[in-house]
Amino acid sequence: MKARMLATRLALPVFVIAAACAQAHAADFDWMKFKGKTVTFLANNNPVAQALLTYKADFEKLTGMTLKVDGYQEQQMRQRLVTVMNANSDEVDVFMTLPSREGEQFAAAGWYADLTAMAKNEVAKEYDPAGLSQALLKAATFSGKLTSMPMNIEGPIFYYRTDIFKKCGLAAPKTIKDVEVAAEKIKACDSAVTPFVSRGLKPAVAYTFSNMLHNIGGSYIASGKSNLCSTKGKEALDTYSRLLRDFGPPGVVNYSFQQISALYRSGRAAMAFESSNELRTVMEGGARLKDTGLLPFPAGEAGHVPTTIGWGIAVSSHSKQPEAAWYFVQWATSPEVQKKMALQGIAPPRPSVAKDPEYRKWIDEEPVRKEWQAALDVLATKGSSEVGYPIVANPQSREFIGQAVQDLILKQKTVDQACADADKALDALIALN
Amino acid sequence: MSDTAATLTQDRQKLEMAALSAPAVIFTVAMIAFPVVYTIWLGFQHFSSTGKQSFAGLANYSKLISDYEFWHGLWVTIALYVLSLVLQLVFGVWLALVLFHAKRLPGIVRSLFISPFMMPPVVAGMMWLVILDPSLGAANYILQSFGLPPSDWLASPSLVIPTVALIDSWQWTPYVALIVLGGLQSLPPSVYEAAQIDGASPFRTFQRITLPLLLPTIVTAAILRSVDLLRFFDIIYITTQGGPGNASNTLNIYGFRVGFEFFNIGYASALMLTLTAIVFGAVLAFNRLRGAVAW
Repeated sequence: MKARMLATRLALPVFVIAAACAQAHAADFDWMKFKGKTVTFLANNNPVAQALLTYKADFEKLTGMTLKVDGYQEQQMRQRLVTVMNANSDEVDVFMTLPSREGEQFAAAGWYADLTAMAKNEVAKEYDPAGLSQALLKAATFSGKLTSMPMNIEGPIFYYRTDIFKKCGLAAPKTIKDVEVAAEKIKACDSAVTPFVSRGLKPAVAYTFSNMLHNIGGSYIASGKSNLCSTKGKEALDTYSRLLRDFGPPGVVNYSFQQISALYRSGRAAMAFESSNELRTVMEGGARLKDTGLLPFPAGEAGHVPTTIGWGIAVSSHSKQPEAAWYFVQWATSPEVQKKMALQGIAPPRPSVAKDPEYRKWIDEEPVRKEWQAALDVLATKGSSEVGYPIVANPQSREFIGQAVQDLILKQKTVDQACADADKALDALIALN
Repeated sequence: MSDTAATLTQDRQKLEMAALSAPAVIFTVAMIAFPVVYTIWLGFQHFSSTGKQSFAGLANYSKLISDYEFWHGLWVTIALYVLSLVLQLVFGVWLALVLFHAKRLPGIVRSLFISPFMMPPVVAGMMWLVILDPSLGAANYILQSFGLPPSDWLASPSLVIPTVALIDSWQWTPYVALIVLGGLQSLPPSVYEAAQIDGASPFRTFQRITLPLLLPTIVTAAILRSVDLLRFFDIIYITTQGGPGNASNTLNIYGFRVGFEFFNIGYASALMLTLTAIVFGAVLAFNRLRGAVAW
């Protein structure tokens, strides 16, 4: 079953490329085909959607359709989506989704419309579906069905203060061991700053921890069982929690991206492991523009296996106008729109946009943007979209990963106890898959 | 007019009144009854993690008995409820007395003191999250400037419940004070005059006259706060999301996560109906108490 799923997930991007090459219907494509219709878009009020919706009027002008935006914060958006979908309602035509988090679950529940045929038959000449990140398309393909189109590419990256590193006689870390050594030295060299900060909030931990686990060479599942108590799993749990416990800020168990960005931007952290999306927030005010270096998270025994995810845009399976909805999805993920979004700091999921001269000019304006793009290039080529367990109950699996890390940060359990408790709970979740 | 004609007119008037008020009554009943009946129905359903739905009978309720998180959530809910209610009633009565006796600029003083509960809880939560941040917040800065050790506040499993109770009490104590102030203003002056003639001290007057006479008002305030406190959600969701670990995971937070993050709507409905029963139980208990202390 798993092998079949893997085969279909690998096969689909190839199919999309082939389909794109054929583009049998591209010549007949008419953006005005659904003129007069209204498409409802359930959006997460994050920088990705904000950048996209700057061009809402362009879509309406191009298609003659009306775009009704229903925008919420991330949790509230999911809450609304669950309510709408459980009621089999057609109120939402298009919604934003994180395939790495809820993809398996929503696909199994049948909430995504299958975009495979539309991506093959209903594409404008300039759309270029083959130009989208194949890794992200693969991550959005479940049981052979393409469920969403990527809006951006993102992942946790390593922010560090070049001035503090210089003052403490440190070079940019190349390995996880180097991060530990640097944290130790910074603690002794500059007691005013927090040496290292990353996510400690229970549901948020998996995002950064997964990168650590994969770099070390660990895996979430082995032989159908939870694998946190493997040697590598325990090493990842121990290293991640020790870095936060011994070198992190007080109260790190409540830290997610808001607190991490605020701490680093204020100059009170020397190293931060946080989302590439936070670059704009971190650089606000310009205080960190000249003293920040950016890298993919330093290598472990397995090298660099960064976490790479992206927001996707999907059509609801309950939509009564999936084709009109697809037109919006297509416009939102077109090279032209993604280039405009890239110029607002939304990392493009299209290598062609990343190479665009106008975008390169924007990147070249600041050294930190160059490093950001270089880190994103590594994410795009080496990334894994596995954040938490690759099972239907992925959101719940993240809770148990977070609980294990918090138990260790708060010294409430030993590594053996924490991983054993997590494995027990996670095995039960895997069994439900 | 004959008796028969008068009776007919009265009957017609009653009919007209019933007809006129019927839409509002039907609308109100439907708005209350439908969500409750729907939630009860959901509580008997099983939703798999893939969204497949089937009849579960009492399985969701029997699962509660063996669910550690449910019992833990119940404990957190009750601990937070008792601590917050005691703080808010004690300080609410004290604040009401201060406001009652405020001689200078009473209007401004009252507006200033009651302003916290006009603030949306989400804003209050965000504000306290920033103030209590162990690294960047003002609370630790103040503690340290007095030579006191910093605290982890919301990040400490042992401190998170008292801290959340303090935040909620900061916001809602003025509301209790406002209710008690209304009660104070309605107390008969004659009993105070009699106490003064008998030479009772201010403390004795408070203990023997004010407090007993205020009890029905205090119980009313307790009922109103109980309903909110047992459904504690917004401030916790903003500040800790039930953490660290599950140290502030109230039943309401747990139910929300089960329903909207783990998509088990059936079990979440069973959790929420159990919580509703607890809220009703608390309200009924306080109603009985109010009957006992009425004067």
